Amino acid sequence: MGNCFDSKDIKINASDPCHPPQCGALGPGRASVPARQRASCGDARPTADSPPAWFEGMIRNCLQYACEAKAKGRHIVGILCEYTPRELIMAADAVPVCLCGGSAEMIGPAQEHLPANLCPLIKSTYGYHVQKANPFLEMADMVVAETTCDGKKKMYELMAETRPMYVLELPQKPNDADAMAHWVRELRKLKTRLEKAFGVTITDEKMRQAIRTMNRERALRRQLAELMKSDRPPLTGRQLLQFKSNISCICADVAQYRRALELYKPVSAEESVGQAPPYQIRVLMTGVPVVHGAERVVEIIESHGGLVVCMDNCTGLKPILEDVDETAADPMVALAEKYFRLPCSVMTKNSRRLDVLTELARQYQAQCVIDLVWQACLTYDVESYFVKRLAETDLGIPYLRIETDYSPSDSARIAMRVEALFETVRQRASA
Amino acid sequence: MYAGIDAGSRAIKVVLIGDDGFEIIAQGQVDQGVEQDQLACRLFEQVLADGGVCRSDVRRIVATGYGRNAIPMADTTITEITCHAVGVRHLVPDVMTVIDIGGQDSKLMRLDRNGKVRDFAMNDRCAAGTGRFLEVVADQLGLSLGDLGPMAALSRSPAAISSMCVVFAETEIIGLLAGGRAREDIVAGVQTAIASRIVAMAGRNAESPIVFTGGVARISGMETALQTALGRPVAISPEPQMTGALGAALLARRQHDSY
Repeated sequence: MGNCFDSKDIKINASDPCHPPQCGALGPGRASVPARQRASCGDARPTADSPPAWFEGMIRNCLQYACEAKAKGRHIVGILCEYTPRELIMAADAVPVCLCGGSAEMIGPAQEHLPANLCPLIKSTYGYHVQKANPFLEMADMVVAETTCDGKKKMYELMAETRPMYVLELPQKPNDADAMAHWVRELRKLKTRLEKAFGVTITDEKMRQAIRTMNRERALRRQLAELMKSDRPPLTGRQLLQFKSNISCICADVAQYRRALELYKPVSAEESVGQAPPYQIRVLMTGVPVVHGAERVVEIIESHGGLVVCMDNCTGLKPILEDVDETAADPMVALAEKYFRLPCSVMTKNSRRLDVLTELARQYQAQCVIDLVWQACLTYDVESYFVKRLAETDLGIPYLRIETDYSPSDSARIAMRVEALFETVRQRASA
Repeated sequence: MYAGIDAGSRAIKVVLIGDDGFEIIAQGQVDQGVEQDQLACRLFEQVLADGGVCRSDVRRIVATGYGRNAIPMADTTITEITCHAVGVRHLVPDVMTVIDIGGQDSKLMRLDRNGKVRDFAMNDRCAAGTGRFLEVVADQLGLSLGDLGPMAALSRSPAAISSMCVVFAETEIIGLLAGGRAREDIVAGVQTAIASRIVAMAGRNAESPIVFTGGVARISGMETALQTALGRPVAISPEPQMTGALGAALLARRQHDSY
């Protein structure tokens, strides 16, 4: 227990091409070492000069934060899905860390246990587990997962052989009258488990505090995303995607979200008078999460004439679209209600996803929909039938489904499809 | 005049059209190879010579196809999706669905009444259901691509080929041959398998008229297999291997006119 990774430990991996230093396979980290941060809120002044530079060092920042928390006796809890309420873990004075893998290099090791025909996100996450290459997982005192898709659910059983694992049972019929009550019970069981494991008491007040903290961060990130509603957004979709953290509510991150909001302003109508209309095609991206290190398709879209103005997925707007009710009598019920509303494809029926997409397409003036499906992600793959119909029939805009994994071998082919999609959009616009 | 260059995975095609956009002045094709830009350059010069025109007469060049970004003489590039649609529509004005099977891609494009691409579908990573797949099969059976059609026509009961992966299908064919299955049944089985792959892309509601283009449309028997699988008539495009380059040339003219 408590074998916190410090920079010395991590350097050992530097000679191994599969495990770049500073768990760089999770995504690129910056080479320079940041100034130490204060752990207390209110006086966090990150020294990286701009939000993009700061968030480029996200993995390293998170690692430093987690190590410091661990050193102070706080517990680290790995999470694998947006259905897990971070607030509950934070109220146990533990640090929730996202463990989703985005590295192609971890897929090979995973396939020693898992079938090849499984989604790359699951395989990459599991690859880090078998290789012991994700420092956050290595320092985790508990992993909290849930019954979402079959692939994840069964992978957790393998992971649980050597890790302390708690699995929430996520009801999958969101419209059933008793579904919410079941979900509330599941969260209460997790609360008891956290309290026992960490020897703490999770009070309503602690939960409310965590809810306020998370709401504050969600609001800031939502405002950043809303900058993309502009006719001339001040950011690319790729830049916006960078503004996130595997650990929520780090004070220094929050300061950078604020800073970004001061820095990036939408171009006003007056300023854009006389300017040629933007050339890029406005893309609404939907489907699977684009986790850190697996941003290839976003980059392809934006280097071929597109601008991803909106992502409705788990690494985009989905988890930050709504807040938790801070005034609710029972904070646990408030938490359950917020999280259970996430429109994931594991739900049946998942009609809320289509409602959200309809609204987002309008707000963000999307000219086309690109539906990203990780290979062998059955639920998103099947659901693409409804999304295609929604785009073409109800929204009246072209739709493209891209099925791929983490290996770059099909980049040229994806680029061709994306270009052809944009040609289609332009042809329609000129008709 | 205007030129279209289609740098496909297995062949490069060039079409030269007149200023009016109707007359094809000259065209040519060459097998794809290592130094694509030089192959394309030589072919382009050959086509110019055949048409009796010089380089300065060509107002605009559009490149398309897999290798479109490696054609230095092109003024711009347009994807083969748009080019095939425009090329086929020029030759068959009422077309609603275009099926294009080339060397390493198979595509299906649905057009609207104005001939614009409404949507499209394509094979993913592997070369299943493409010309390359047929090449592998022909090679394995000791046939040339040209023999495949007549051979398939002889079959009375096409073999069931379950694997649409080039590598695994090869294994499956070895098994069928070892089991004494006739070559014509194997060829016919492969054609049926490719056609069913296209149907999966098209869905059941591909709108007629359906036009089949791309290099594989030149292999006889394929359109029959498609017709059977789709349950409706499929016409082979005139000049099936040239429709991408033709579309590129037509788009070069349109772009020039709009400047």
